[in-house]
Amino acid sequence: MSSLENELKKLIIESLDLEDIGVDDIDNHEALFNEGLGLDSIDALELGLAIRKKYNIRIDSEKDDVVNIFASVAALAEFIESEQRAA
Amino acid sequence: MQLDFIITQWAVWPPLPPEQNSPNQWLANVPPMLKRRLTPLAKTVFCAVSQCIDTHRIVPMVFNSSHGELAKSLAMMEMLEAGEEISPTAFSLSVHNAIAGLFSMAWKNKLQCTVLSPGEEGMAPAFIEGLGLLQEGAERVLLVFYDEPLPAFYPSSPYRLSSDTSCALALMIAKSGSGQALTLSSSALTGNDGEQPVQLPAFTRFLTEPQTRLTFCTPRRSWIWEKRFE
Repeated sequence: MSSLENELKKLIIESLDLEDIGVDDIDNHEALFNEGLGLDSIDALELGLAIRKKYNIRIDSEKDDVVNIFASVAALAEFIESEQRAA
Repeated sequence: MQLDFIITQWAVWPPLPPEQNSPNQWLANVPPMLKRRLTPLAKTVFCAVSQCIDTHRIVPMVFNSSHGELAKSLAMMEMLEAGEEISPTAFSLSVHNAIAGLFSMAWKNKLQCTVLSPGEEGMAPAFIEGLGLLQEGAERVLLVFYDEPLPAFYPSSPYRLSSDTSCALALMIAKSGSGQALTLSSSALTGNDGEQPVQLPAFTRFLTEPQTRLTFCTPRRSWIWEKRFE
């Protein structure tokens, strides 16, 4: 498992108050929203804010493909890595 | 004005006596994804209400709170002042009906739900609203009263509008049935017996003790609850 993916899981758990869930409970390719982990639209905003604060990467709901970026931990890590390479 | 009704069931949190203080059993049925959004005051409300609606889960509800979760709004305003971004979750839960909304989601209660901010009138407006629903034909109505201490930022002490503890009181009311029969009336007598946070402990004592009459004076009128024994 890449360290970024691990780091993102910790970020998700902490920023979204997932009290009963550990890093090992989140699968890299599991859906984060609706079915899967079961996050909702408020979580998407909260996670967007947490990513902006931690990585200084802004997810633009007008330009970026938000549904795919937030699809799973693996997808999110891929997006952050590509943004970091582009910066 | 004389309004008769029955309190068929009631519960207060923290409980009396306080040794029975174990919120977990009352929060066990809340889905974890909702539970993580419950603030301490929301948990207090959930614990009181859960004990009151075990048999009649789906009822119209009236929530009554002087200040709601004002501390949360203050914290967000302080963050904005400091130039920080505020949490979308905290923002979404900062409205006066946030706890009622979480409760209706957790209990899948889609019936009418009213949330009042009664100011100087205290607890009485929730009774007026609830009795109106009974009059319209509801079999029973759940009244939920809750408040927590105001943050020190607000100058509450000279106005009798805050207390130093959090409390939630849930009352199931009906027009008939077994329970404590009460009559609510009002009079022109004015005074200042404090807002809901100050009234709540007095109302709970009224329910538990032999005292037959309770009066709360407000700057506009007084409200009188009287026990009926038929």
